Amino acid sequence: MTSITSVKNLRLKFPGESEMLFKDMSLSINRGEKVLLLGTSGCGKSTLLQVLSGLVPQTIDIPIKFDEIQIPDQWGFVFQDPDTQFCMPYVDEELAFVLENLQVPREEMSSKICSLLKEVGLELDNIHTPIQHLSGGMKQRLAIASVLALKPDVIFLDEPTAFIDEKGTEQIWETVKRIWKDKTLIIVEHKIEKIMDFADRLIVFTPGGEILADGNTSMVFTQYKEKIKEYGIWYPGAWDEYKFKRLAENKFEYQNTLKLQDFKGYRIKEIKIWADDMEVQSGEWITIIGENGAGKSSLLLAFMQLIKTSGNYFINDLLVKKIKDISGLVYLVFQNPEYQFLTHSVYDEITYGLQNQQNIEADAKEILSSLKLTSKINQHPYHLSVGQKRRLSVATAFLQKPTVLLLDEPTFGQDSINTFRILEWIEQERQKGTIILMVTHDQHITERFATRLWKVQNGKIVADRQLNNSCKVQKEMLNELII
Amino acid sequence: MNSLFSGKYTWLHSINPSLKLLTIVGLFGFAINIHYLNFMLGFSCVILTLFIFGTGYSYKQLLLLSLPFLLVFLSTSSSMILFGKGETILFKWAYVQISEESLIRGIHLGFRALSFAMLGLIFALTTKPVRLFYSLMQQLKLPPKFAYSFMAAIRLIPIMVEEYQIIMNAQKIRGFEQKNNFLKRMQRIAIPLLSQSIRRAYRIAISMEAKRFQSNRKRTYYYEIGFSRNDLFFLCYFLVLLGLAYLLSIQYPLLPNTDVRSLSD
Repeated sequence: MTSITSVKNLRLKFPGESEMLFKDMSLSINRGEKVLLLGTSGCGKSTLLQVLSGLVPQTIDIPIKFDEIQIPDQWGFVFQDPDTQFCMPYVDEELAFVLENLQVPREEMSSKICSLLKEVGLELDNIHTPIQHLSGGMKQRLAIASVLALKPDVIFLDEPTAFIDEKGTEQIWETVKRIWKDKTLIIVEHKIEKIMDFADRLIVFTPGGEILADGNTSMVFTQYKEKIKEYGIWYPGAWDEYKFKRLAENKFEYQNTLKLQDFKGYRIKEIKIWADDMEVQSGEWITIIGENGAGKSSLLLAFMQLIKTSGNYFINDLLVKKIKDISGLVYLVFQNPEYQFLTHSVYDEITYGLQNQQNIEADAKEILSSLKLTSKINQHPYHLSVGQKRRLSVATAFLQKPTVLLLDEPTFGQDSINTFRILEWIEQERQKGTIILMVTHDQHITERFATRLWKVQNGKIVADRQLNNSCKVQKEMLNELII
Repeated sequence: MNSLFSGKYTWLHSINPSLKLLTIVGLFGFAINIHYLNFMLGFSCVILTLFIFGTGYSYKQLLLLSLPFLLVFLSTSSSMILFGKGETILFKWAYVQISEESLIRGIHLGFRALSFAMLGLIFALTTKPVRLFYSLMQQLKLPPKFAYSFMAAIRLIPIMVEEYQIIMNAQKIRGFEQKNNFLKRMQRIAIPLLSQSIRRAYRIAISMEAKRFQSNRKRTYYYEIGFSRNDLFFLCYFLVLLGLAYLLSIQYPLLPNTDVRSLSD
């Protein structure tokens, strides 16, 4: 076996950080290997991909040092965010951009574009389709097509499915497995279920950027399981091992209700979401599922009165007509936490608008310590890591003590420890009597935590099921609904 | 939004974008040097004809699009008419005084502003940004580095608009709106909006380089943009009609034909 990409004694330090990310790290990858890199967020997996492809330091200016480096001649890179991979507005123009860079003659371009799209299974009626009209999964397959045009030997995939729903994820991996069977693949991915069988080598990093384990997948997962678990890295069966026992229901601190009668939400006069008569009580945890664009987020915005609504919507028998009616009663946690930050420090953020309340300081400190954010109390929210930002944004919601808590993918992109912790807090809120409505793609959450499920399809709530966590039939029913 | 900016494909769309750009910039310069009211009027009519019949948009769309510019026309000309200096007073009331000179100068200025606006709209309505930049690279040798950066930036605009809406909503939920004034709110929206945009621009730049984009290397072009008979027609349209307008303005002046520069201040 010959190595196709390798680095010897890599040292790397981000400007402004005190700790070195990699310290004399060596790694060699052989031709044809399918390597999966695992590690907590911020451990340097993505940076390593950029080093091995030569993007660092050529394009991204980070000071690095190494004794030897071998960069593959022909490589391609699929990035995480489907919205920042393209520089042209149309599908054909984007692929043409790559072909232009390779100096492919103009006459050959159209036929090449068609065959590339066909290969990744992106069948469009017209190749001159705006990229904006594609779904996330389709965008990522377009990115794969443009990498395919480069005829790479080594392909770097940096969490290509992070922003993609279940169905899109499947399509992406199906495509990758089909077209790059005999290429070298280096993959960073959190959602490992779909590619476990595909990867033949697994490298696990410690949070400090050292290699903890390196070997074939099953060996690593059996021998290093305890460590992997401790770091909070997702591993197969993490959900099965997680013991969540719902406490016997005692009396709720507050008794709340939410009632809907022929409730509709509009965007530019078009009905975006529609619910018949519904009633929700304290103690309910509803997960809202549905495809991307089905109207799940519109439903949350309608509850928050951020889009125009019609019909009746009651909270504790109060008829809600505008956003002022629900201030302090309903709270929505957005998917991107940065959007909601208003102040310059973590403490101010968490107590924003509540400074006059009694015991606020103690409450804030308590929640910050359980969130492991106490040491960051004076930091600017923007300087936190992605996981910390998400925890902070959920925590701000808890201090508001809302009657109805709306959450849009609150565990998205989180490691296992944080995911379980956030879910446990939400469970605590539920036990106090807060009504929980949560949009999520994660079937495990629905199976384990939810008491009720809504499925949204084409803007309508088409299914409304009570869930019972002990019921065995439930899993089958869930599968049926999700498909 | 979309319906406002979608029109038919006309011969103006097929003009070489670089030529169109240069011609229109040239006409801007030319218009500044027109000092006779009658010719200015003729010039405006030539542009107006092209604007109405050449762009392929419906009258309703054109009217809506030019509304803000009509306002510009009215405000520039009226302020000149009402407050400009002059000796032959036609009307006077308090601070308002209309003189013959100010009237002529005001109308002249108004038509100039209107012609500018219409020229700009003609260009914007009949030119696709992607074609413009391809043409600039091919005809005017604009470095690809700049051309593709601009094209990538244009792609970001709709994303930013959407994001602005989301941030507004996100902050409303936290009760930010009720407590603060407009300026403070804008400031709070600008920070996350900018931080996201910078991050996006950076990522796009990296992904462009990952696709082997190099600014100094020779490249082929997906769209080859050349010249056609329409380009000749486009140039002749202005040459012939503006010539005609000039002759007519001398032979059959509709309005007093004075050089606006000779009017005393």
